[in-house]
Amino acid sequence: MLKSVIPRIKDWPINLIAQKRDKILQETISEAVLEFNKAHPTLSQLRDQLQKTLYLEHIRLRSEAWEVDPEDEKEFWGKVKKRLLQADPAHMDEDISKEQHQELLQDIMSRYANEIIGHFNPNMFWFARQLLVRVFARLFNSHFGGFKGIFNPQEKLKDKLIVAGPVEKLRNLSLKGTVILVPTHFSNLDSAIIGFGMDYIGMPAFQYGAGLNLFNSKIFSFFAGNLGAYKLDRRKKNPIYLETLKSYSKTNVLAGAHTIFFPGGTRSRAGNIETELKLGLLGTVMEAQRIHFEKNPANLAPKIFVVPLTISYHFVLEASSLIEDQLRRTGKEQYLVYDKPQVAGKGIWKFFWETFSKSTDITLSLSEPMDVFGNSLDEDGNSIDKLGNPVEIRSYFINKGQLKADDQREMIYTQMLGDKIIEGFFKNNVVYSSHVVSFVAFELLKKKLDYPDLFTLMRTSDEDREIDWDTFKTSVKRVIDELYVLNNKEQIKLSPMMTTKELDEIIELGITNVCIYHTNLPILRTKEGNITSEDLKLLYYYHNRLIGYGLHKCI
Amino acid sequence: MGSTSASDKHPVGVIGAGSFGTAVANLLAENGEVLFYSRRQEAVDIINTKRTNNGQTIHPNIRATSDLQEITNNCYLLFPSVSSDSFRQVMQGMAPFLRPDHMMIHCTKGFDIKLEPGKTILDKDIILKPSDIYTMSKVILEETCVKRVGCMSGPNLAREIANQHPAATVIASKFEEVIREGESAIRSKRLQVYSNHDIYAVELAGVLKNSMALAAGALGGLGYGQNAMAFLITRGLGEIIRLATAMGADRQAFLGLAGIGDLVATCTSPMSRNYTVGARLAKGETLQQIIDTSSEVAEGIKTVSISKKLADSTGIKLPIIQYIYKALFEGLNVEEALRYLMEYRWGYDADYM
Repeated sequence: MLKSVIPRIKDWPINLIAQKRDKILQETISEAVLEFNKAHPTLSQLRDQLQKTLYLEHIRLRSEAWEVDPEDEKEFWGKVKKRLLQADPAHMDEDISKEQHQELLQDIMSRYANEIIGHFNPNMFWFARQLLVRVFARLFNSHFGGFKGIFNPQEKLKDKLIVAGPVEKLRNLSLKGTVILVPTHFSNLDSAIIGFGMDYIGMPAFQYGAGLNLFNSKIFSFFAGNLGAYKLDRRKKNPIYLETLKSYSKTNVLAGAHTIFFPGGTRSRAGNIETELKLGLLGTVMEAQRIHFEKNPANLAPKIFVVPLTISYHFVLEASSLIEDQLRRTGKEQYLVYDKPQVAGKGIWKFFWETFSKSTDITLSLSEPMDVFGNSLDEDGNSIDKLGNPVEIRSYFINKGQLKADDQREMIYTQMLGDKIIEGFFKNNVVYSSHVVSFVAFELLKKKLDYPDLFTLMRTSDEDREIDWDTFKTSVKRVIDELYVLNNKEQIKLSPMMTTKELDEIIELGITNVCIYHTNLPILRTKEGNITSEDLKLLYYYHNRLIGYGLHKCI
Repeated sequence: MGSTSASDKHPVGVIGAGSFGTAVANLLAENGEVLFYSRRQEAVDIINTKRTNNGQTIHPNIRATSDLQEITNNCYLLFPSVSSDSFRQVMQGMAPFLRPDHMMIHCTKGFDIKLEPGKTILDKDIILKPSDIYTMSKVILEETCVKRVGCMSGPNLAREIANQHPAATVIASKFEEVIREGESAIRSKRLQVYSNHDIYAVELAGVLKNSMALAAGALGGLGYGQNAMAFLITRGLGEIIRLATAMGADRQAFLGLAGIGDLVATCTSPMSRNYTVGARLAKGETLQQIIDTSSEVAEGIKTVSISKKLADSTGIKLPIIQYIYKALFEGLNVEEALRYLMEYRWGYDADYM
């Protein structure tokens, strides 16, 4: 474990910001109101938006109520409805009506902001850290006392959770500006694992958004709610909520909160690395950087650093339900569910148990940190071009000597940043043996069966699923050779296991690892030694991890 | 909107003093001062004293210089117009002087291709993937710190612009402000300006049409008339669109000025280099003979080679390209090539939309 960059938890930015809760709330609301009025300047536009929001919230209340929802939810929206009726400009002076609409907007945004805002408690953080370390240690110990003994007793947590990449640079930069960590998203456990990993390398805690649904769980709510998680409600897609959320994020980034954004929005349902990002929250980062330059002299303006992070798992807790969901979405009527989806009821503890007690690991692979324009950074956080010359990024917001906001410009910059993030994801993707065996097995099956679509393929009978061992092994060899070529071109990374073990062992470990967690095995060897699968959907899911590199040409 | 154009207070820079660069400089000069870069001092002196370049008279608002830094220091808006062969090198040379508040609108219809040392795009054994191909805007983004990039493309034959004929062009950029600045700098009584946000498609359209200009020259060389030309232009557009979509572009821009507009202009202009190559080929000369007696390799020859190799690697069918390729590189007689195309089963018309 690395020494904390800032020794006292009380001095962490996240805690300093938590102390200013009221100020953050007020800024969030006033900024949200301001932006919303800019986008909807007339009374009739505002009224439309309020009505739309009311309508959407009524639907949500009726069709999808959660335990975590406040008790007065119905009452609140009932009142909104009443007030909206009363404020009808047809029945009163327009100025008064305007005022009442503004009050209403303010009240709704205030309610949302109060729901979203996260909290941080230094004592709780300390407590949670002790607890987690103990839990992990216990997982190991119970194993050492146990049966298999396939790894040596020196193996510790650091071999299980690997943080790879420019760790020292990231630590340095966290003292010089605001770090925005943008990870790939495969599992609901990502936030916890990244949080733990970042703590492990001595980074001060990050803010992150957690789905409000997770707060239905009292235990989660108790911990996460005190560890810097703010709440995101995916049910609320109304414009007023989204504006408030964006404003909250911007206010925090401006205040200097190191933040985790999952730019893919939701977990990757197909198991692939994201190639399309949701740019809304990322746009607030761009905006925040511009505001820093507007409010400060050039040399004193705080800087924002963006760091992509690619997570590698051998297996994903929710793989089954994610891929079911993906196939149902893309397949529509072509895809009828024949089998009941496998219930992922083994839960979190099983996942941790399997991960930390067996010979398997998780890698958090950091990309090179960059500024919001994708430029490289020197050790002090100064932007440099590819020749190492300094780049004055302030000037990206300038047109003919004038620094000012230009939404369209910033939207394109955000898209460009998104492209850089995706590039980082792919370049620093750490390939595991399990990814390779899944990729090859599925590609071979696809080639062998030559079905026009995925959905027919998924329903192939057991006997058709068999792949000859020699063919399989040769293909794995070819894919690994190509991976080495890509690795040399710095387009992908290989896990240590891939580079140190012999081919047969890589295959064996790959198969073992991807199957550790699942009841129906995505890939296995038959009695004759050939390769087959009990669950093609899962195989497809794990295969997808390596798409986008042109590897199918090696099959 | 137009009242705060870049040209009001600051000169606009034009990089590259070829015939199109000169035409662009003259167009810009109608709205304000222009700093005009040529790397040869000799050319700079002639432009500044004799007020002529490439047979075009130089507008009084133009001043030439061989000092790149003078241009980057004084201009916010730059129009690079250098050949695709030297574009990357020029950008590398400019990179140290460029700032993030510069905007660039390039006028170069060509690709930059990263090949292994010693290889050229005309080599037969080269395998090309769409990702190996760089449009000029990608070169700018890769080599410099400039992000606000655009391109100017369309049916704009340098000679006609020099002769003050009316024309229309497209300024494409993802950035509204680049389009705005570019438009207010270059729009005039003789140049109508349209905008497009899909810079990639506009750039592809500008390059891919070159193969068809070569084929048009071949038809002309054989003495065929407008029926054959219309056949070529329409089906040629289809092939261009199919190839561009395989390279990841959207179709829409190909139906505009930068697509069909430019294609018609180049295919029906017997003076262009590409057309001449086609015509000479049809008259029985070999590619080698043509290259040996030309000052530079016509862009169309490279485009045919690139298009054919991309068709091979992406698996799409481009009959016209395939047969021009055979005529250029595999010694197939042009009339033979045409005969094959006439026998080819095309199927459904307008299948590329």
